Amino acid sequence: MSRLYLLVGLGLALAALRADTQGWFGARPSIVNNVPASMRDNPGAYRALYQASPRTIGGK
Amino acid sequence: MVAVAPTRVAGFNCPNCGAAVERRALTHTRAVACTSCGAVLDPDDPNLVILQEAAMRERIVPAIPLGTRGTFGGHPFDVVGFQYRTIDVDGAIYGWREYVLFNPYQGFRYLSEYDGHWNFIRPLPYWPAEMKDGRIAAAWDGQSYRHFQTALATTRFVLGEFPWRVRVGDRVAVSDFVAPPFLLSRERTSDETTWSHGQYMTGAEVWKACGLETTPPLTTGIFANQPSPFAGKPAAAWRRFAALAALVLLALVGRQVAAAREPVLEERHVFSPPPPAPQPAAGYEPAFVTEAFTIREGGTVEIAVETNLNNAWMALDLALVNTSTGTAVNVDTELERYAGTDSDGVWTEGSPNGTLLVPWVAPGEYYLRVEPAGNAETAFVLRLRRDVVSGLPYALALVALLLWPVFVSVRAASFEARRWQESDAGSGGDDDDD
Repeated sequence: MSRLYLLVGLGLALAALRADTQGWFGARPSIVNNVPASMRDNPGAYRALYQASPRTIGGK
Repeated sequence: MVAVAPTRVAGFNCPNCGAAVERRALTHTRAVACTSCGAVLDPDDPNLVILQEAAMRERIVPAIPLGTRGTFGGHPFDVVGFQYRTIDVDGAIYGWREYVLFNPYQGFRYLSEYDGHWNFIRPLPYWPAEMKDGRIAAAWDGQSYRHFQTALATTRFVLGEFPWRVRVGDRVAVSDFVAPPFLLSRERTSDETTWSHGQYMTGAEVWKACGLETTPPLTTGIFANQPSPFAGKPAAAWRRFAALAALVLLALVGRQVAAAREPVLEERHVFSPPPPAPQPAAGYEPAFVTEAFTIREGGTVEIAVETNLNNAWMALDLALVNTSTGTAVNVDTELERYAGTDSDGVWTEGSPNGTLLVPWVAPGEYYLRVEPAGNAETAFVLRLRRDVVSGLPYALALVALLLWPVFVSVRAASFEARRWQESDAGSGGDDDDD
């Protein structure tokens, strides 16, 4: 059991390092491909390209 | 190991019932309880005086038959006597069995058994030191013993030979001190005080020593000096945790030193909410894009937003767009800041600033598309940095590593708590032998 604990601990240390460098605990992004270059001139047109997450708060 | 010839057995007939009575300890025996009728006899009196009639109708059969030869500590001993004793604790009767062992060169030893827990006991040639510095304890051979229990023991049944004038009904004050797997026991009467030292044995060990083929009594509960199966394990588990925690912290320190934390973008903007209904202003478009910036190496990207929100809220939809591939990574954040006063004083809610961590982003040229929303005009600053350190994975790793040593410690503590629950201290009794 002690050997297993040491192995698991080593794995956790490496996993923590990997999680940090990869941002595993960061935001959950959504991906949109093939965004046209023209969007830089017309940012409002981007809305049609993705389904944004509904806002959980609307202010008070 | 000294070879011991088979014990010479003297014998006589019980004057009470006529049954044959064996005498294995010969001149060392000071009382013999007839194995047939239970009468206690004086073996040294030529008229075989009956010291005590059989006082207990209920006969107790010893688990180790008298006459059994066992090997303990490398020496053979014969089981020559047996007694059953009880104590009364708050109206509850607890009984245990004791076997008298004899070796003509080693003298007398004893085996005691309670609920399947055994102790090999030897009389001590001199008294241990007793301490009463706030807590009763004893010391023997460099080991400290903690007081466990004091009670009045009564002999209820006797069988075979004894090196003292045993009688059914004999009462002694027994005090036990423990340092698992060892035990110090003091027996005190008005005439004398004796000390003995015990070492815990399992039933299997006793049966093996005696060469018995039957099954030893089943074990229940935890005995006073029963060695803990978890002894030493918590310390070892915490040492391993410390080593692994050091490794995790080393990884964190290494990241703190090596992380680039390179600023890639900083821009200031002002958001104006749309005009009130029913008609928005023509051409109102809150979304905008930032200047292009370069992410030199792949890694995480931190987006920090600072605002001057005051009793208002703001939401930001953000898209990190790669100018070469046209791939957009979309994230969003919502900020609010409210403050006021009530009967309890000043209160605040929310934060005007926020941080997002975008998971691994490939190197390349990017711009940020920003679409704000809110209910008040708000100035805000966007700051982007690449390759920042997140402490959360390391904290989670430490918490996960803590689980095992905590479990081991709780398990060991639970065993000890159950042990001491049976003591004078655990039962709420006064931990005082006087």
